[in-house]
Formats: sequence, C-alpha cells, structure tokens
Amino acid sequence: MKTRTRAQGGAAASGLSSKGLKGGQVGLIGAVVIGISCIAPAYTLTSGLGPTISEVGVQLPAIFLVGFIPMILVALGYRELNNAMPDSGTSFTWATRAFGPWVGWMGGWGLIAATIIVLSNLAAVAVDFFYLMLAQVTGNDSLADLTLNLPLNIATTLVFVAIACWISYRGVETTKTVQYVLVAFQLVVLTWFSVAAFAHVAGGTAFDATQISWDWFNPFAVESFSAFAAGVSLSIFVYWGWDVTLTMNEETRDPDRTPGRAATATVFVIVLIYMMIALAVISFAGVGDGELGAGNPDNQESIFAVLATPVMGPFAILMSLSILSSSAASLQSTFVSPARTLLAMGHYRALPRRFGRISPAHKSPGYATVAAAVAAAGFYVITRLLSENALWDTITALGLMICFYYGITALACVWYFRREAFASARSFLLKFLAPALGGVILFIMFIKTAFDSMDPDYGSGSSVGGVGLVFVLGMGVIVLGAVLMLIMYRANPGFFRGETLRTGDSVSAAQPESAPLV
Amino acid sequence: MRYVVGYTATERGRDALFLACAIARSQGASLDLVIVDPEESPYTAVYPPERTYASLLAKQLRDWLDEALALVPEDIEARGHIRTADSDARGLIEAAEAFGAGLIVVGAGSNGLFKRFTVGSVANALLHAAGVPVALAPRGYSRMEPLTRITCAVGERRGAEDVLEVACDSAARRGLPLRLLSLLALDSSGGAALDEARLHVADRVRRAEELTKGKSSITGVVAHGRTIENAVDDLEFDDGEVLIIGSSRLARSNQLFLGTTASKVLRSLPVPMVVVPRNYSRAAHGQAPQSGDTQ
Repeated sequence: MKTRTRAQGGAAASGLSSKGLKGGQVGLIGAVVIGISCIAPAYTLTSGLGPTISEVGVQLPAIFLVGFIPMILVALGYRELNNAMPDSGTSFTWATRAFGPWVGWMGGWGLIAATIIVLSNLAAVAVDFFYLMLAQVTGNDSLADLTLNLPLNIATTLVFVAIACWISYRGVETTKTVQYVLVAFQLVVLTWFSVAAFAHVAGGTAFDATQISWDWFNPFAVESFSAFAAGVSLSIFVYWGWDVTLTMNEETRDPDRTPGRAATATVFVIVLIYMMIALAVISFAGVGDGELGAGNPDNQESIFAVLATPVMGPFAILMSLSILSSSAASLQSTFVSPARTLLAMGHYRALPRRFGRISPAHKSPGYATVAAAVAAAGFYVITRLLSENALWDTITALGLMICFYYGITALACVWYFRREAFASARSFLLKFLAPALGGVILFIMFIKTAFDSMDPDYGSGSSVGGVGLVFVLGMGVIVLGAVLMLIMYRANPGFFRGETLRTGDSVSAAQPESAPLV
Repeated sequence: MRYVVGYTATERGRDALFLACAIARSQGASLDLVIVDPEESPYTAVYPPERTYASLLAKQLRDWLDEALALVPEDIEARGHIRTADSDARGLIEAAEAFGAGLIVVGAGSNGLFKRFTVGSVANALLHAAGVPVALAPRGYSRMEPLTRITCAVGERRGAEDVLEVACDSAARRGLPLRLLSLLALDSSGGAALDEARLHVADRVRRAEELTKGKSSITGVVAHGRTIENAVDDLEFDDGEVLIIGSSRLARSNQLFLGTTASKVLRSLPVPMVVVPRNYSRAAHGQAPQSGDTQ
C-alpha cells in the first residue's frame, strides 16, 4: 500500500498565528500580570531611577508622567500593525514591508541591539544583587563587594548569560504560577519600600528628608531641553514592556476587550508604583550628592542596592531577592525576541542562512539564540572594560536604541497605512496621528540625546577618545549595523532587491495577488 | 494496527523512524509520524512582541515531516501529523490515544557520549507515563527489514503475564521465533536461584507454546552474570531482534514505569527494547481484531 499524507491538525487549519499558543486562557488579571512582568518594575527602577534623577533631579515624577506619552502613541500604531499583519509582527518585517529592505534591516537591527543591550544590563544587575544577597544572607558584607572585582564580575555575568541562553534554547517556559508570584512579590516589596521610606521621613530618621512639592510634577521645571530629552528617553526604558498587553489577542479570553483593559490597568498600576517610589526615594534621600543622596553618582547605577538597607533594615534582603528574581526571569524571557528576530532575518536572507536554523530537538531558534547570547556577553565585556559606570551608560545607550527602533516602527505604521489614513476618524487617529506624533517625538529625543551624548561628561562621565561613551556605544551599534548591512548586501543581495520580503502597503496587501509573506 | 512515531529531524528521530518501519513490516502496521509543536505559555510573554516565528516554525515542521515521510519505504502506509502539546512526551501520548495506536516508537539516545543506550529526556518521560507499549530505538539504529526474532524478558514477579501475552501475540502474527529470557545477577554460577530460574523459564515456555498455538518456535534461556549488565552483555542478539520487557510493578495499572532491572538492561542492550505497561492488554485498548492479518 502506498500512502503518504500529511494530516492537517485542527490548529494548523485555523490560521498560523494561533499555532503553538494556548488560546483564550488569559483573563484581565493574567494580562496585567504579563504586562507588569515584561516591565519588571523592580529591575527597571533600580537601573533607571538613578540615571533619570541625574538628568532631571526632583522633576523625576514629572518626567515619568511625560515619558509615557510617546510610549502610548507608538503603542497605538504597534497595535494597528499587529492587527494588519498578525503573522509577521516584528519591527523588522513591519519596517521592511512599509519602507523596503534598507530601513527594515536597520529597524530589525535597532530592536536586536536594544534587546542585546538590555540583556547585558539585566545580567549585570542580577549579578550585583546576587552578591548583595549573598552578603545579606551570610551577614558578611565583604561578599557584596565581590561584584566590584572586575574579572569575577565579568565571569559571573557570563555564567548568568550562558544559563539564560541555555534555558531559552531548551524552550523552558515560565508558568502562570511563577509569573504571578514574581509579579506579586515585586509589587509587595516596592510598596513596602515606599511605606518604609515615608515612615522614616515622618519619623525624622530619613537621610535627607525633602518636602514633596507640586513643582516635582511640572515637566517645564526641568532646567534644560537636553535634560528633558535625556529624561524622556530614559523613561521610555522604564515603560518598555508595557505595550505587550496591546499585542495579545487570541491568548486572551476576550480578545476584543481584554488587551485594551489590561493595558489601561497595567499602566495604572505601574504609574502608581513609579510615583510612589519616585516620591519615596527623593523624600527620603534627596537629590544631593551625600552618602545616600539620589544625586550621588555612586548611587545612581543601582539605587536600591544603596537605599534598601537604610530604608527597609533587615528586610532589605527581600528587595535583593525581588530584583534578582525579576531580572533573572526577564533575562531568560528577553532572549526569545532578539533570537526570533535574528531567525526571521536569516529566513528572509537579510542575514546568513544559518541564523534561520531552527533546532530540531527543541524547536527553538538554535543558532540565533546562541548568537544573541554571544553578542550580549560581548557587549557587556566591552562596556565593563570601557566604563566605570557600565550599568548607567548601558541604560542611557539603551534609551537611545529604543527611541531609534520604536521611532522607525511608528513611522512604518504611518507609511504602511498611508492610503487609508484619512478613511475614517478612527484610522486618522490610530494609524496616522498617534504613530506620527509618537515617531517624531522619539526621533527628536533620539537626535537630541545622541548629539548631547558626544560630550565626554555626559551620563556617568565615561568617554573614549574625548567623545562620550554613551554616544560611542549608541552610535557605534548603529554604525556597526549599517556596516553589516552593506556586507550582507555584497554577499547576498536577494533580500535587498525585495526577492524575499516585498514592500507594500495596507491597501495592496488586501488585494489577493499580493505575495504571501512566508 | 497503528504505531505512533515520535519524530524529530535529528539522528534520534531517524533511529525511531527506522525501527518503526522494521516493526511495522513484521506486524503489518501503519505509521503515524508525529512532530510535536511546543505549546507556548502566554505567561512567557515574548517582548518586544514577535509573531513571525510561529509561522516560520510551522513551515519548518511541515518540511521536516515531508522529509520524514519520504524516508518511509513504499510498502508501509504512513501519515504525518503536527500536534501541539506542552511537551514531546505529552504530545506523543495524546497522539497514541487519539489514533488508538498500539505502540509509540521513539529514539532513546541522549547526548551521553559513552553509553550505547542512555535514555534521552523524551524517552524517559514516555517510560514514566505512556499507557501503551513504548519502543526505544538505540542510537544509530538503521535497519528497516522485518524483525527476525523477539526476545521477551520474563521476570518472576506477577505482571509478567501481560508482557508474555504481548510478545506471543507479536511473534505469532508473522511466525517469528520467540526467545524467553530470565536475567539473574549472581555472584557465582549455580545455586538454587539458577535452578529456580530455569524451572520458571521452562514453565513460561510451555505457556508461550499454548499462547502461540504452534505458530512460533519458542526457546528459553537463563542469562546470568555478576550484574544484570554483564548478563545482557553475554547474550547473543540477532540484528533484527527486539527485546520486550514489562514495566515496573511500581507502575500504576496501564502505565509504564521502567523498573530497575529494565533500566539496567537498557544500558547495555544492543537491540531495540519495547517496554509494556503493567496490566496492558490490547483488547482493553480497543484494538481491532488481528485475524486475517497473519499471512
């Protein structure tokens, strides 16, 4: 008998986007938990608070509120792209479809670079708090200083990156319970920290009790446009992750309403937490450069590492545990996105074919995952060797990269939908106005921050050859991308001639003769 | 009868495919090649959002499945399936239930460097949870010709009867020779244990002759050595042989759980091994009557 058939399973027949995802099981609370876990507020605050205070001082709450505006404008465009091209949702494919291969390549590169930078930062923060926690557990304070030992620090960070890469390669997943516990723990500990800080202020035991003033909420009180732009690009980083809820569809119980409600609820929780922490930190420690001052550059790399013990006393270990667990969880999950974008680029021949390889045993992007890990490890080693304040400088460079790829994606949305932008009030607002405004704001922040960061005193004050390190890192990564793009064009021009992924717009894509994406 | 083949586009997957073809040819079964598409937990949210991968993976899985189907010889009926499940083992067990399959075939090898037969994670998970017999292809198995002999390990414990029935049924279907094996770990040869094992094997041989109704030639052998591994090492095996063994008495009824003896056998066995769940009977699993299949 001769029979060779490939049976079509139920899931395969119902559309590719639903493949592999458990449909309809995430409710509102679950979606909010996912949103908060992607933001990882404990990690974000410890890395982002210091650099932001160094730019905008007491106007921290104001800049956190303002920083959300470009984020939501771009996210609205993201959602439209995601709905229009559900099977190709990534900055690389979107930007390629809208603007063609060259801009698409750089959009993909920007996303990969941003995630690689955040991976190296996550690993480094996890390592800092790992040693800090060891010190707190054993009561031996000298253990916390091990993280200052350069070779040991680099070695430990590389081990953390390797473990996360291995877990991601094996396709191990975070379960619902783990995610709920991690998120709840972060929220409890951050609330505890704020309450304890205010208690110190009230009880007169704060380090530098500072009276809360309405002026802190006034973004126009920021002393210069440079500081404002830097603050906004940093606060993009603190909200990075929020828009994940908007792109959730079939995995939610009610795809029409859950994503929007979850996004609103998530932002409510996050803004509340950020305001609480921002006010607590400044009221407790002030923005001076004293021993515990939030304006002291030594404290700005990792604010909770310094303030948790004076504020929370013996319970500071909970803060360490919360940051260590949230950054370790993010470290593992953040590997997925750059690896998959690299894989997509390999698949469409925008990168060598080997990047497009899928591991047959684990069904994960094998080569691309390892490549992402090597890049993150390499980036960390270089930054650590060049900078005295590697974490600070990487966060600032990260803000730049996020502005860059978010900006490209937002403008890709505007261009992709250009022929239906004025079809209705709704499409004018969501497909044109919001992403156009968001994209333009981000590019202004990007250009202004990039320009300012050439100053050797910018950020933490590290510099290479008289140019600020943040500029060298940020622009270096973008220029490296452009160079690699030209090398790829020389080696394999098919992608750049539109042979693998065609440029189009929303109207042409709706016509039946348009090429399938895969 | 249908066999589920746990396929991956790796050496292990091909080991399984070859073994499945060999068994299917001697048993007149058809094959269901199954590739498991790992189910993603939405709680491991991918950020920045990314949706290309699912369709690229789906396409790759279809290509792999087509390659695998092309490897199956023309005389064996084969179907391919991509099934979503949260683990490979779960996906294969669900497939076996859905198809009413009588056997799950997987490549047993892991990445262990030295052991012929260290069990990989998928095989290991199956051995602890499957409700149907599981065939384990040793690393590098490349034979597709029908089986030439079946060896059945007969322990002295209760439950061995199920295994014997499965072995007799399989051997009788195509008139394959059946060898009944008792494994003993002894310090020195001789002794009461050895005599007792010989008596037991002789008894099992008589029972097997009844069950096979003269369709197969039955032999009995007692293998002993200082350890179970040594005993297995000293045995001769045909290239086209498989060993059928029962799962542990610790297993729940109708489920597999590899016992300590079976684990030791697995470590030094040069031929494929089929592990039969405790209290497994084909009738209970809704198998179609096999009459008319014997020719």
